[in-house]
Amino acid sequence: MTARRLSLVDLAIRYGFLLLMAGLIVYFSIVAPAFLSPQSAVFVFQSVAITGILALGVTATLVVGGFDLSIGAVATSALMLSAYVMVIWEMSAGVAVALCLLMGATVGLLNGILIVKLRVPDLLATLGMMFLLVGLQRIPTEGNSISTGMALPGGGAAQGTFSPAFLMLGRHRLDFFVENLVPLSVVFLLAIAVVVWLFLEFTRHGRLMYAIGSNAQAAGLAGVNVNRYKIVAYMISGTLASFGGILLAARLGRGDVASGNNLLLDSVAAALIGYAVLGASKPNAFGTAVGAVFVGILLQGLTMLNAPYYTQDFVKGAVLVVALVFTFALSGRNGRGRV
Amino acid sequence: MADQSIRITGLTKAFGRNQVLRGVDLAIPAGQVTVLMGANGAGKSTLVKILCGVHGADAGRVTLGDVPFAPVSPAAALRAGVVTVHQNINDGVVPDLDVASNLMLDELAEGGRTFINRRALRARAREIAAAVGLDLDVTRPLAGIALAERQLVSIARAMSHRPRLLILDEPTSSLSTAETDRLFALIERLRDEGVAILYISHRMSDIRRLADRIVSMRDGAISGVFDAAPLDYSGAVRAMLGHEITEVDVTIPAPGAPVLAMQGVVLRQGARRFDLTCHENEVIAITGLVGAGKSALAAALFGLGAAVEGQVSLDGRRHAPKGPADAIAAGVFLAAKDRLINAVIADFDISRNLTLPFLRRHAGPLHWVRRGSELARTRAMIAMMGVVCQSPRDGILTLSGGNQQKVMVARWMAEDCRLLILDEPFQGVDIQARRDIGRRIRDSAARRATIVLCAEIDEALEVADRIVVMSEHSIVGSHRNENINVAAIMAEVVEAPHHARLGAEGNPTA
Amino acid sequence: MISRRVFAGLLGSIALLPGLAVAQDMPAPFDAPAEVEIALVRYLSTGDFFQAYLSGVEQQAAALGVTLRVFDSRQDAALQADMVDQAIALGVDGIIVQHGLTESMQEAVQRAVDAGIKVVAFDVNVENPAVPQIEQSDRDLARLALEQAIVDNGEAWTAGYVYVPGIAPLDRRDETWRDFKGRYPGINEVAMFGTLDNPIANAVANQARSVVSANPTITVMFAPYDEFAKGVMIAVNEAGMGTDVSIYSADVSTADIAMMREPDSPWKATAATNPAVVGEVSVRALAMLLAGEEPGAQVIVPPTLITQAMLNELDISNMEELGAKLPAFVHADVAMPAWMPLPRR
Repeated sequence: MTARRLSLVDLAIRYGFLLLMAGLIVYFSIVAPAFLSPQSAVFVFQSVAITGILALGVTATLVVGGFDLSIGAVATSALMLSAYVMVIWEMSAGVAVALCLLMGATVGLLNGILIVKLRVPDLLATLGMMFLLVGLQRIPTEGNSISTGMALPGGGAAQGTFSPAFLMLGRHRLDFFVENLVPLSVVFLLAIAVVVWLFLEFTRHGRLMYAIGSNAQAAGLAGVNVNRYKIVAYMISGTLASFGGILLAARLGRGDVASGNNLLLDSVAAALIGYAVLGASKPNAFGTAVGAVFVGILLQGLTMLNAPYYTQDFVKGAVLVVALVFTFALSGRNGRGRV
Repeated sequence: MADQSIRITGLTKAFGRNQVLRGVDLAIPAGQVTVLMGANGAGKSTLVKILCGVHGADAGRVTLGDVPFAPVSPAAALRAGVVTVHQNINDGVVPDLDVASNLMLDELAEGGRTFINRRALRARAREIAAAVGLDLDVTRPLAGIALAERQLVSIARAMSHRPRLLILDEPTSSLSTAETDRLFALIERLRDEGVAILYISHRMSDIRRLADRIVSMRDGAISGVFDAAPLDYSGAVRAMLGHEITEVDVTIPAPGAPVLAMQGVVLRQGARRFDLTCHENEVIAITGLVGAGKSALAAALFGLGAAVEGQVSLDGRRHAPKGPADAIAAGVFLAAKDRLINAVIADFDISRNLTLPFLRRHAGPLHWVRRGSELARTRAMIAMMGVVCQSPRDGILTLSGGNQQKVMVARWMAEDCRLLILDEPFQGVDIQARRDIGRRIRDSAARRATIVLCAEIDEALEVADRIVVMSEHSIVGSHRNENINVAAIMAEVVEAPHHARLGAEGNPTA
Repeated sequence: MISRRVFAGLLGSIALLPGLAVAQDMPAPFDAPAEVEIALVRYLSTGDFFQAYLSGVEQQAAALGVTLRVFDSRQDAALQADMVDQAIALGVDGIIVQHGLTESMQEAVQRAVDAGIKVVAFDVNVENPAVPQIEQSDRDLARLALEQAIVDNGEAWTAGYVYVPGIAPLDRRDETWRDFKGRYPGINEVAMFGTLDNPIANAVANQARSVVSANPTITVMFAPYDEFAKGVMIAVNEAGMGTDVSIYSADVSTADIAMMREPDSPWKATAATNPAVVGEVSVRALAMLLAGEEPGAQVIVPPTLITQAMLNELDISNMEELGAKLPAFVHADVAMPAWMPLPRR
């Protein structure tokens, strides 16, 4: 974009989404006065903290021209794993967190190897991984959720508990002007968003990842180790997804059996909405974070207006379609063919 | 029969604020080959895209015979008898389908019966292939056949439409001499049948062979029409560029120490052994047919493949890179051919494209990219290469083809190296850009060895101190670029006992 | 979860219950039970409830000595119907249809009945007079929980309600909720919300957070499904309103018990049918049919009210203890002819 004088269309592409968001905030605060309070604002962030973190991970894979369908399953696997470690093995919060992150990174590594070395197309490889994990996470408990006192298959009852330190990750609140206002999960979301954004936009590695996503062959001929960066992207995605799962476990306080498909869909939606923010027309961390918050604002407002769950799905879908129109049609660029 | 010729009047087209066509008036008579010449960015591609239904015009009209012609889609253009063979081969074919389906693609897409009679389809496909003298198994998947044959498939498919206007956009850029002859024979036959032919090329040899008339285009308008025999080629080039083009005078400097030494190298099984030495301050052009092994040689030096046998040393040390990163670290750079596939990062601006291989040099602590350093280097390179642009932040695709190519060459000149290999650096650029790029290659050659791979001897003559001829994956001749005997080089190029395996090399990494 | 150990531990009480029969005492075809094969064709299988239901089915089948085949359609209605046909082809003697859609199951079940196979259905109406319906009484579940809400909070309060229409058991619980609102005009429902997005508790928590901040006057949340209740409790605690809001729900699990017993937990009471018992009753009803007896068109498994106070008083911390200390919870005296053996090791 070299134009100094921005036309109306350019302005719409650039700031349309942010304007829409501002409009929504104004609208909701008029019709639902409780909407405009610090608590409410923080809650919007809290409600999207987990999907937002997952979405930032999937953004990393989108940047290298890939896709990770396994993030939802990685998150719920981390949820189950952390519960298993603390409740059944009775180990500490630190071990639980470490093992979960290790699991996420390993799954990312496996995804990367499947895609890069064994040449399985990304959607198929991560889809397979998704099914694998959805099944695997249920095997140790024979399909049961994990909670303190549950009967163990080998006899006896699980005696471990979720340690308070672990629960803090999802529940502790920091004072920020108002006492007990900001949950730790929101701090994590913001911190991870900033780090991923800085990494992708301003470091050499981020630049090379974008180059790979745009033209992997050319990047390879420029001496970039394409395979290594792709694997790293999937490892980032897996690790962030497992971190999302840790926060989920800390919020729920138990190991719930769940497929994580909604987590996957919501995070992918956030990442795709992110294409439209500031007319980026490409995956970007800032857009992803804004996309996640946008969905959070909508859902918060609609719930306050007593809108039933199916209208919320409808609205989410509509937002996504509008965002994609912004990205692909209005900006007149072909964007990227995939997704 | 009614007048079949095509008339274009007052055609204009703008993209945003960028006025690409400023009122084109052009007649393309039936039964003649009209060659369209124009510098990169003159508007040739846009004109073609309007004629074949990809873009709509802003103003002006086109008549086909007496009928107004304003196709709303490529399919509509095809129905009206305007057939286009695109420069980019993969625009014209579907790699996952077999040859027969590719030949019949338009008819399949037109509709008709839902279920396909495979046998009938193949029989018809064989007819189409035979009509252009294309002899191959139509049941083979297209992905499995050579690039040149794919090109012929796409041309055969176009021919099957009984075109009234046939547009060929640089169709020979990946064809060998023999294939080119076959194509030219076809074009001449169609011309004799009364088809209007619009032929777009930068290659003077093609133009000399085919043109009945030449139309030059500059800045979105027709700048000259030449139809009096004998055709005024230099006038056409002048009209296209807006100024005279001077002959290149190569002064051969004294070469320095040897940089690259290849001894007893066998590029692939069964190929003849050869030696090659490149010196500092020397520009070598390697010429040969498509598939003669030029790209295989580059691939071996750049770590994309390995020679079967032989010693390669760089400044006296063994050179056997495991990949591009390795080669770059050793000081061997390769500017690959087919820039849109192998070089251009479409999503990036000029500076980000330029610094891609050497981003580390512009990165600070924590691998932070220092944008200032990057932009400074880009500005310097833009000035050095004479890239026409508004700012280093311009999107790469906003540049014309010639300027894109300058950026891609500049990418590899931005840092010092021991050996710079440029694979078809003049591909798809107009003569002015070609001269610009060639001069910069020569001007900067003092402290390295330079190898330029080009299929066109004209190009080799402009850039090289020494011209090396390859055939059958081996070196068959070497000529100092002084009072050179072009006929002798041509003879070496084609003398190979069996014809070179066409297009076997494809992209360096493919 | 009702594990084997519960039953081992409960041998004493089981001895008081009728009919610890042995094979020879059982009517045909259970005089040779190994020859009898029954199939469980499931629509829903993911989650604690369904896992426990399955274990009940397995244990009762083992007690009878019959062979059990489990078909799991994982929420694929068409596949579930195909699985009935598969079971017919395998020549099973009886089929338990567990959940599903009336539309897809009606014809398949009719084919099974026509083939002379005995069928019982749990929580799905297959509209077939030959097929007894096993039901956990959703109306009773909702009634027990709401009656407790009236006891705790009086007859007038502001309520939030969690509901997703179109799910049969939730729809039945909803009928009772509407009855109650009619009967007690002092109940003022200011918000209705709900979602089945997975993980449900997390998604409901997000919604409930918005609801309680938009409607700070809510004092009672009726969340007639334990995943809903969990979500509401997370949200209420996050909003710091744990002492202002009371939650009433249905269903129970070990994790639910732990949450209900947290200090100052807003989750006051739940009403539950033991899913394992429902599983056992399903098999017993099918066995009665096979033996030529009539279990009745509707076999209703009665629910139990479980309050926070009760759990604290009896110091119950998991499902095993719940079974041990609330015997009404581990056994339902339905579909119990004298010859029926009960699970034991």
